[in-house]
Amino acid sequence: MSTAPLPLPLDGVRVLDLGQFIAMPFCALWLAWLGAEVIVVESRRRMTSRTAPPFVPGMEGNPDASGYFNQICSSKKSCTLDMTTAAGRDVVRRLAGKVDVMIDNYSTGVLEKLGLGYDMVGKLNPALIMVSCGAFGRSGPMKNARGLHSAVNLFSGVADVTGYVDGEPRILGGVLPDPLSGTYGMFAIMAALHHRSRTGQGQFVDLAMYESMMTLIPEAVIDLTLNDADPQRAGNRDRQKAPHGIYPCRETDTWVAISVEDSRDWNAFCQAAGHVEWLGDARFGDVESRLAHVAALDAAVESWTRQVSVGEAVDKLQAVGVAAGPVLRCDELLDDAQLQANGSVVSIDHPTAGPHRQLGLPWRMDSLGVEYRRAPLLGEHTHEILTGLLGIDEAEYARLEADGVLS
Amino acid sequence: MAVAPQLPAAGPLAGLSVVELGDGTAGPYAAKLLGDFGAEVVKVEGPDGDSTRRRGPFPDGRPDPEASGLFLYLNINKRGIVLDLDGEDGKQALDRLLADADVFITNLPAERLKTAGVAPAALRARHPRLIVTTISPFGTDGPWAERRGDELVTYAMGGIAYSTPGMPDAANDLEREPPLHPACFAAETITGLVAGLATLTAVLGRARTNDGCHLEISQQAAVASMQHRDISTYSYWGGTYNRLLNPTTIGRMPNFYLPCRDGYVTIPAPMDLHWERLVEAMGEPAWARTPAFSDGPARTDNWIELRMRLIDWTMTLSGDELYGLANQTQLPIFQFYPVRKLVESEQVRERGSVVDIDVGNRRAQMPGAPFMMRATPWSLRRPAPRLGEHTAAVLGDRTGVPA
Repeated sequence: MSTAPLPLPLDGVRVLDLGQFIAMPFCALWLAWLGAEVIVVESRRRMTSRTAPPFVPGMEGNPDASGYFNQICSSKKSCTLDMTTAAGRDVVRRLAGKVDVMIDNYSTGVLEKLGLGYDMVGKLNPALIMVSCGAFGRSGPMKNARGLHSAVNLFSGVADVTGYVDGEPRILGGVLPDPLSGTYGMFAIMAALHHRSRTGQGQFVDLAMYESMMTLIPEAVIDLTLNDADPQRAGNRDRQKAPHGIYPCRETDTWVAISVEDSRDWNAFCQAAGHVEWLGDARFGDVESRLAHVAALDAAVESWTRQVSVGEAVDKLQAVGVAAGPVLRCDELLDDAQLQANGSVVSIDHPTAGPHRQLGLPWRMDSLGVEYRRAPLLGEHTHEILTGLLGIDEAEYARLEADGVLS
Repeated sequence: MAVAPQLPAAGPLAGLSVVELGDGTAGPYAAKLLGDFGAEVVKVEGPDGDSTRRRGPFPDGRPDPEASGLFLYLNINKRGIVLDLDGEDGKQALDRLLADADVFITNLPAERLKTAGVAPAALRARHPRLIVTTISPFGTDGPWAERRGDELVTYAMGGIAYSTPGMPDAANDLEREPPLHPACFAAETITGLVAGLATLTAVLGRARTNDGCHLEISQQAAVASMQHRDISTYSYWGGTYNRLLNPTTIGRMPNFYLPCRDGYVTIPAPMDLHWERLVEAMGEPAWARTPAFSDGPARTDNWIELRMRLIDWTMTLSGDELYGLANQTQLPIFQFYPVRKLVESEQVRERGSVVDIDVGNRRAQMPGAPFMMRATPWSLRRPAPRLGEHTAAVLGDRTGVPA
């Protein structure tokens, strides 16, 4: 069953990835899978993600065995350059002249100090699309403030809508501000590439992680400014549906999410749970009553879910058409039959680290391709990029190497 | 015919024509993103309208299908038509629209698409250049393909809920504090963004292949894809983040989320260098120089006591005072901003992170551009359509048939 590979949508697009941590490296990750040639600039003098855990057990500290690097730099190329040297910065400038897209999320002002900001590279290459990302963006009075994902959660308003009933604001799990802003960065790049294909014009994109997160909470922003109403934290409850929550199941720390939309759902729920008596309970008669007695309702639902396993609860409810699902842990995601069935779980082999699984693109395409390749070894493509793409001759390459510029 | 390049009228996607058959947030948000950056979007609603018209928030909480804040936000920059897709006229009108469109975006159930005559395979056959973007809770293959899922369920199955509250915050009691979903359409918004991005991927691909594409987006997979870090940790090392606070999940100490006099702050000081600055900011308390806290391993061993000591200190100060100390000492301490304080902040005002919107006859504010494109800015060109506002105009000018 040999079929010609499908065309990659970003074939021919070249990206210079100066990303740090997760946000911008994630932005370039999907671009690489979609066919872009992504060049990661890194240095042995200042390695970040390659020194970060998780490592393959027994290979701690091996820069080619970091899962942090290998998963977020899959399908990319590695070019080692010491940007603290003038010659290293010159090579980066020359690279900026040869790429379509450049991305960074250094602290605001760092690239400008190095002579690599858009004020410089945009002049060298007017067709360049540059996405520059900061926790608070590249403008405004807080542009120099530093923030990890937790700070972005706290500033963006998302923490204000996250929390238990009448409890304090809480911080989301994972590091959502990072991949979410990376995804907005990709959207910006695609839109800018489309624009450039018709006009030849490149541009600068100022991406603030907190603004990416604010797109999650339009209701709260509008309700506050429209009705002077501050968010009321309410656990997993909804203001229009009940029951609507995450309930404990029989085994320790296992949970089922249940969302009952209307009276048909409620009827089906009570039948499936074996509690038809709830249908005659005046407190639960219609959605208004259920919302008015939501604490008692949640207690009743929990009295059932605690008796059953997650799988039983989900199967019984889904069998009668009620939206319900298990709360999956990150380890369960890779083994999830549904994500696997849709091609989301991919395994990528690596000469040092061996095969490991990760999640690929969350969509499928019928006429365009996607390619999952391994992460580069440290400096694997430095020679190819300098002598090939930049046309540097072997003598100069040797000189740069001897001077430590390529370390 | 060669045409000289010219600047498009509005936004990087000007000239792209999109038909949206959406409901709720995911489909409408995908189309909104395209419209906000210049695409011409026609939103197709049934006679009852998008369910978000009944969601609000409404002025003073009084339901009005033309004054739902969330609907008006999600459907800005679109024209709106009403079609009865149970009838032949409606189906034909939709198909005529699609014949001229670049993109079709929908998050209606597959069964509904079939009865409306717009099943993806049929559309691809009839309109080979059309980009067809479909969103479903779990994707169209596999054991969950036919199952029901919504915002809460897809979010729970996408992995973020299990680890919320998350670093450096934490649950105090794993059994009594369930996994948390934020009270917003997080899963649907993430999915809408992914769908918009996927659509543009195919727009770029089509420029090369001259072929349309069916893009199938799974809402569960979209949420799960945001769990990149946690999955890497599991995949390489076997570690799973849970909601408890302990040194193995949170790393070097202190790295805490703590109450202060009028709010909450994060205090990350994982390296000795940060610890020195923190001790200085605290005014050199004697306890901080005792052996129990003198080096990183000791602080990690004694993290529970360290946390109590830090709370004693943070409770004497306001969030603003702590944030001021952070700026003085270059510590990444950060304070909690309620939505009110965020919206009123200089940062939000100066960047235009929120913009005006009319809801009913009252002025409110909504999130603005998700990022700033210098050459082709985000723009607000028209308010969301009233139900059926452009039916006659669109069916007239898009099909050549007078309205």
